[in-house]
Amino acid sequence: MLTLRSVTKRYSTLTALDGVSLDIAPGEFFGLLGPNGAGKSTLMSLAAGLRSPDSGEVLLADGALSKANLTARHTLGLVPQTIALYTDLTAEQNLRIFGQLYGLGGRDLQTRIDEALESVQLADRRHSVVQTFSGGMQRRLNLVASLLHRPKLLLCDEPTVGIDPQSRNAIFDFLEKRNREGLTIIYSTHYMEEAERLCSRIGIIDHGKILALGSLDELLTQLPFEDEIVFPETPVTATFSAQLSAHGQLDTVDGRHRFRPRPGYPLSVFFATAEQSGIATRLFEIQRPSLEAVFLHLTGRKLRD
Amino acid sequence: MNPIFVLFKKGVLLFTRNKAAVIITFLVPIILIALFGFVFGLYKNVDSGPGGIPLAIVNLSTEPAATDLIAALKLEKSFRIIAETKNADGSMRPLTEADVRAAIHNNHYRFALILPADLVSDDALGIHLKFLSDPRNEIETQMVNGLLQKTIFSRVPQLLGQSLQHHSKKFLGDARFETFNRTIADTVAANYGGDREEIYQRLISGDFGFGSLTSSSKTTTASTAKPGDEKAAGAADIFSRIARIETEQVVGKQVSNPMAARLVGGYAIMFLLFALSGSASSLFEEKRSGIYQRILSAPVRLSHILWSRFLFGLALGTVQVSALFLAGNILFGLDLFSHAIPLLAVILSAAAACTAFGMLLAAVSTTPEMANGLATLLVLLMSAIGGAWFPVSMMPEFIQHFSKLTIVYWSVEGFASVLWAGQSLMEILPTVGILTGIAAGVMALAVWCFKRSAMFD
Ligand SMILES: Nc1ncnc2c1ncn2[C@@H]1O[C@H](COP(=O)(O)OP(=O)(O)OP(=O)(O)O)[C@@H](O)[C@H]1O
Ligand SMILES: [Mg+2]
Repeated sequence: MLTLRSVTKRYSTLTALDGVSLDIAPGEFFGLLGPNGAGKSTLMSLAAGLRSPDSGEVLLADGALSKANLTARHTLGLVPQTIALYTDLTAEQNLRIFGQLYGLGGRDLQTRIDEALESVQLADRRHSVVQTFSGGMQRRLNLVASLLHRPKLLLCDEPTVGIDPQSRNAIFDFLEKRNREGLTIIYSTHYMEEAERLCSRIGIIDHGKILALGSLDELLTQLPFEDEIVFPETPVTATFSAQLSAHGQLDTVDGRHRFRPRPGYPLSVFFATAEQSGIATRLFEIQRPSLEAVFLHLTGRKLRD
Repeated sequence: MNPIFVLFKKGVLLFTRNKAAVIITFLVPIILIALFGFVFGLYKNVDSGPGGIPLAIVNLSTEPAATDLIAALKLEKSFRIIAETKNADGSMRPLTEADVRAAIHNNHYRFALILPADLVSDDALGIHLKFLSDPRNEIETQMVNGLLQKTIFSRVPQLLGQSLQHHSKKFLGDARFETFNRTIADTVAANYGGDREEIYQRLISGDFGFGSLTSSSKTTTASTAKPGDEKAAGAADIFSRIARIETEQVVGKQVSNPMAARLVGGYAIMFLLFALSGSASSLFEEKRSGIYQRILSAPVRLSHILWSRFLFGLALGTVQVSALFLAGNILFGLDLFSHAIPLLAVILSAAAACTAFGMLLAAVSTTPEMANGLATLLVLLMSAIGGAWFPVSMMPEFIQHFSKLTIVYWSVEGFASVLWAGQSLMEILPTVGILTGIAAGVMALAVWCFKRSAMFD
C-alpha cells in the first residue's frame, strides 16, 4: 500500500527523518509510536505527498507520490494533527467543502455527509458551528472529514490529542470498524496504550529513526526480562533488596525499587524471601512488560516526561 | 466542481458569516465617507438651493459662441444660472461685472462667469473667459470650476472651432483662408511641435482639441500651462493651451482641493486595501489550523488556493468599491450611471491590484502580526502619497514622483478621470492598463514568494 525507502527529510539543519524504510501492507493498522518531535508528523506529510523527501522515495500503491500527481490523492486521506476545519462554519458546511474538493457533489455527497455525521454521532449537531463543539466532537469531525472520498489509506496523525475517554473510545471503535472493512490505517501516537490496543504492527520512532518494528508481541520479546516488580524503598526493605541483586536487575528510582528477575528465577522464591524479611506482600506490584518498557529499553528515556 | 470555485465559495461563505468583517468592509467606510462629506461640504443640496449652485453670467460678448456657451451652461443641472438683475423700477436688465462683484461681496452668490468682449479676440486665437469666485466652500469652488471646464470644453468646442473657422473664411475669402490655416498650422507646429498636416486638417474641421482639456483633470485652468516646454507633446495638448480662462477669486485666497469623486475614490481604495490585507492575513489562520495540509492532501494544487484567493479579493473589492460609490451617489449625487462601464473597468483593475498587494503582503510576512503591521504602514503611506486624502498636486514635487508608484494614485486618477472628467472607456484604458499591469506584476511576485515561504509547507 505504502512504501518508504531510505527516506530522509531535513528542515534546514535538523534531520527530522533519517533513512526511514517502511512497508505498509493493505489492510494493516500500523501504529507509529514516538515522543514529541520524533518525526511522526513529518512522516505523515511525506506519506500524504505534502512534502518531498530529500533522499529516498515514497511509493503509494507502487506509484511514486508527487505533488504533480493529483489522481493518487484520491487514494489517501490525511487527518492532520491539528483541527483542520473551518471553525466559523457548520459541521455540514465543512464536510461539503472538503467533499467538493475531491470532486464529489449532489446527492452522492449529501448521502456521504449524512453517513459520516451519523458514524461519529454528530448528526444532530450538523448545523452547529464547529467553534461551539467540544474538543472531542471537533476531533471526530476532523476524522470523518478525511474519509468522505473513501480513501484506501488513512493517515491519522495523533487523532485523540486532548479529548475525553468517551470520545477517544468512539474514535477507536470507529477506526477498528473501518479497518475491519478493509481500510489501511497508519496511526501516529505517543500513547503506548493506543498503539497496544489498536495496531496490528507498531513502529517505534525517535529522532527520525525507526528503532523497532513489529507486532506487539514481537516488540515485547526484545525485552531482556518478562516481569517487573515494583515496591517502595523503606528501611525495612533495605536488606531484602540487597539480596535481590543476585537474582536479577534492581534499580532504585524516586524511592521505588524496580526489580527485573533473571529468567528462570521463580516468583515463589521471591515472595517467600519477602515474607521472611517481614515485608507485607500488598506493597508489591507486578508489572507486565509494556511498550513503555520497550521504549525505555531502546532509548533509555521514557516515552513521555 | 473546480477546486478554485469550491475554495472561492468557501471564502464568500466565511466572509458573509463574519459579521465584524462585513461591517468593517462596508458599513464603516460608508459612515466615514458620509462624515467626511460633512467636513468637506460635499452634500449636493447643502447651500446649492433647489436649482443647483447659483452661477451669475455676465455676457459682454457679441459672439454667437457666447450664446451657445450660456445655453450649454443652463443645461447643466448642477448650476442655477443668473443672468439678469432688477432695475430700481423693477424691470429686468442683464448683469454687469460691477453687479456680480458686489453680489459676491455681499454673499448673494459665490460664482460668476464673465464672457468678456474679447471672448474671441482678433490678436489671439482662442477664447477668453473670466471666472470670479468666493471660495468660502473650497470643495464647492473646485466643483464649480470642474463643472465649468466640463461644460465649456465638452459641450462647445466643436461649435466654437467651427464658428471661428466660419468667421475666418468670411473675413479672409477662400484662397487666403487656406493660406491662413496653413500658416497657423505651420506656426503651431514650429512652436509646439506636432504634424503640420494633421494640425491643418483639424483646423479646417474646427477641431481645436478642446475636448482633450477635459481629460487632463489636473489642469485647473488652461492658462497655467506653460507653452514652450515639452515641445514633443502631441498636437492635442498644444490646442488645449489655446483656451484661456482667467480666474479671479473675489474673496479669500487661492485654494485647490479634491472633488467628491476623488474623496470617495481615495477612501474607497484605502478601505479596500485594508479589507484585502485583512483577508490576506486570514491565510495565516488557515495555515495555523492545518487546513492547508488537509486541502493540499486532496487533489488540489497550490495555484488553486492562490487563484481562489485572488478571485475572492477581486469580487470583494469590486463589491466594496461599488458600494462606496453608490453611497457617494446617494449622499453627494456623484453621477455613476452615465459612466458605468469605464467606472467598472477602473474598479475591477483597482480591485485586482489591491488584491495582489494583499497577497504579496501575506507572502512576504512570516507572521500575521507582521502582515498586519506592514499592511497598516503601507496602506496609510500609499494613501497619503497616492492622493487618497488630498490631491497629489498639493504635495512637494519629489513626493509626487513616488505617488505614481502607488496603486492608490492610479486608482484615484482613474476614478477622477471617469467621474469628474467624464472619460470614456477608451480614454481610461491607459490607466486601467497600468493598474492591471501592477496587479499582474505584484501577483506574480506574490506567487513566487508564496512558493518559497513556509505558508503552505
Ligand atoms: N516546518 C518545520 N520546520 C522546521 N522544523 C520542523 C518543521 N516541522 C517539524 N520540524 C522539526 O522536525 C522534528 C520532527 O517534527 P515532527 O512534527 O515530525 O514530530 P512529531 O513526532 O510529529 O512530534 P509531535 O508529537 O510533537 O507532533 C522536530 O524536531 C520539529 O521541531
Ligand atoms: Mg506531530
